[in-house]
Amino acid sequence: MVTMDPQIWLAAFFTIAATSYAFRDNAVFKFAEYTFIGVAAAHQIVMGVKNIRDYGWTKIMEGQIIYVVVFVLGIMLYARFHRDYYWMYRFPIAFLVGNGVGISIRAAIHSDFIVQVSETARTPLIAGDAMGTINAIITFVGAVTAIFHFIFTQEKLHVGAVGWIPKIGRWMMLLAFGASFGNTVMSRFGMYQGRVVFLLREWLQVI
Amino acid sequence: MSIWEKLTSLPREIVMTLVMLSIIVPALNPLGLPLMTGQMSQDWYDTIDALPADSVVLFDVGYGSGGYPSLGPGNIAAFHQMFDKDLKIVIMATSLEGTLMYPLVMAGVNPEGNYGAVYGEDYVFIGYIAGTQTAMAGVLGDLHDLVTNDYQGNPISGMPILDNVGGADDIDLVAYVTTSGDIAEGWVYQAYSQYNMAVVGGTLSMMTTSIKPYYDSGQLLGIMDGIKGAADLEFLTGHPGDAIVSSDILTFSQTLVLIFIAVGNISWFMTRKGGSS
Repeated sequence: MVTMDPQIWLAAFFTIAATSYAFRDNAVFKFAEYTFIGVAAAHQIVMGVKNIRDYGWTKIMEGQIIYVVVFVLGIMLYARFHRDYYWMYRFPIAFLVGNGVGISIRAAIHSDFIVQVSETARTPLIAGDAMGTINAIITFVGAVTAIFHFIFTQEKLHVGAVGWIPKIGRWMMLLAFGASFGNTVMSRFGMYQGRVVFLLREWLQVI
Repeated sequence: MSIWEKLTSLPREIVMTLVMLSIIVPALNPLGLPLMTGQMSQDWYDTIDALPADSVVLFDVGYGSGGYPSLGPGNIAAFHQMFDKDLKIVIMATSLEGTLMYPLVMAGVNPEGNYGAVYGEDYVFIGYIAGTQTAMAGVLGDLHDLVTNDYQGNPISGMPILDNVGGADDIDLVAYVTTSGDIAEGWVYQAYSQYNMAVVGGTLSMMTTSIKPYYDSGQLLGIMDGIKGAADLEFLTGHPGDAIVSSDILTFSQTLVLIFIAVGNISWFMTRKGGSS
């Protein structure tokens, strides 16, 4: 029994319209695409205004005058649309970049470099079980050979007796890319099957 | 044209029809294939299970409508476990569309009906906060300085759940579910690296290879790996939902993909062999 709920009919129509692109580009897909862009843009505008109100305007109304600076910087971003005052937008951009880098750089170095190196070095090659040992050896060989692959300043490391090391590193990376591809396929199918299940259950009500 | 050449130039309509059938057939006739729980999901479950009642969890709904089919079921299962354990959940969104996903997830959990939870006492939704890592740093640094109202505009000052939550020191676990690499990394940077907090993360399967090094190095205590991880969590929490239904479908459709890859490669080699001879 097909549902009579107009919301589900609407969702079903746009699901079919959006996925119809898999077969061929068509007008119904374009309609769904433009509708989605329009709705997403409208949502962004609403949420943007809400953010300005909640995290800026409210603070000023509470007497935190320092937030005026944020508003001024925000308005300066729009200077990029003016030929003469274009340069002014560089100041808020510089603030955004500086703020972003300042917040993340220390943690990035810690998480992506120091902890990774220390944990890789600390992992014993002989683990408690056979699979653990195999995993540890793969990690060790993969890390060392992949690093070798990216040493470009020493040509002799890529040829002759040690030339096989960066080659193994490349193969290790290709294996990682393969795993990444497999996961990507599963992700896409996960998304698609979710909508197919929605169509069968909510719209057609056959499961 | 040989059979191999025909196979290498299979029309996309045929491929897509087969893909659709590989999804529809097992959806209509579930095979009930056994589910093998992954270690990463088990670790996510165990991490939350080890928290005593009334522990505070900061949960980021960091995905939108595109990610909902993959991540929504896992999000629902995670909330079931948290409400079941009487944890206090402070929910936020670092993704713009997270505010749209929140009601969908809550409709699936029904915390008031299923667990007798009270909004403002057991959970709260503080809405979307722009800035990704800036927002994370702000919430963990001084929550009350950054946020004054919840998503509906109610003042948070009188909410019991947030009375004793000022920042990172008062939060026992950070959990996030996201489709964004920036958000997935951001929580590791801001919560684990800055405050040494316990963090678990749920991402799309395609992101797992990128964030798994954080799990291997102990920076993430558990990972919910897309729809597979969601199915694991549904199984572990005893709340079967959309993800477990998806397991059969994914097994079927992924097998088809493997067949396509094998046929494509064999055809390519055979065509090349024929051409060179």
